Amino acid sequence: MKRISVTVSLNRSTLQFDDAAYARLDRYLAESASLLEGDPDPQEILGDLEQAVADQCTRRLQPDQAVVTLAELEPALEEIGSVQVPGAAAASGSAARESTRPLQQISEGAVVSGVCLGLARYFGLNVTALRIFAVLLLLLSGGGVIVVYIALMLLFPYAPLQRGGQPLGWLPARSRAFIEYVRVKFHLATN
Amino acid sequence: MATESKLAPIRKGLLEFLVLKIVGVSSVYVPDILRRLAGTEFATQEGTLYPLLSKLRREELVLYEWQESDAGPPRKYYRLTDAGRAQLAALDEYWNQINRTIADIGH
Repeated sequence: MKRISVTVSLNRSTLQFDDAAYARLDRYLAESASLLEGDPDPQEILGDLEQAVADQCTRRLQPDQAVVTLAELEPALEEIGSVQVPGAAAASGSAARESTRPLQQISEGAVVSGVCLGLARYFGLNVTALRIFAVLLLLLSGGGVIVVYIALMLLFPYAPLQRGGQPLGWLPARSRAFIEYVRVKFHLATN
Repeated sequence: MATESKLAPIRKGLLEFLVLKIVGVSSVYVPDILRRLAGTEFATQEGTLYPLLSKLRREELVLYEWQESDAGPPRKYYRLTDAGRAQLAALDEYWNQINRTIADIGH
């Protein structure tokens, strides 16, 4: 037995996707959501993008074709393009913006959750030195630093993931998922 | 190209102005805006336009209403608010002023 298609509700449209196309779409929407972190109204934009995907795919379907495959989805996503947040610095990010960034935790290249990385970037410190200092502090404080670290994990918003950035490590990804779960559960709003 | 990296931020900054101009002409939906910009230096994509329109709506410069379409679900048609019209006039004026300055200063 093989699952042929998935019914996907995209804003005001409903379409059939095969598994590969569904996985690709899921990835695109997740990327869009993470790029929109910090936007006050991500749901509206995501809804608009879903509708754009639905319209583009519908336009590309052959008259007798019911299921959207990668052959329709890839060019559709290509045409829609990835999310560009207005006001954000162009592509690689200018030095000026780098220095005005708020305190954030950075999942990409993190060891645990990216708190040290975020602190290092904010204060312009060497991240390795800061991590060594944190580990020393952990040994000296007998674990008290763990509490501080978790508190900072809850307090710092996540830096948006870079487009085409490196994949997250296992622990940073888990930390992020955990914190997002806790935030939703206890209605802790950051960003 | 070195020049390109200097031009890209200028285009990016002006996109909002151009979108206000297009929305100012008549009530449009996003594919109309994309078509209007296609083939110009400001050709853009939905991934760029929707976040921008969402910001403009939050700033109460544009608003949208749903309109039925013959094919498919209803569409969002955007138009300028009074504040949007005022801002567009101010931007137009400023743009002309900058152009005059640029033209004058090299002489």
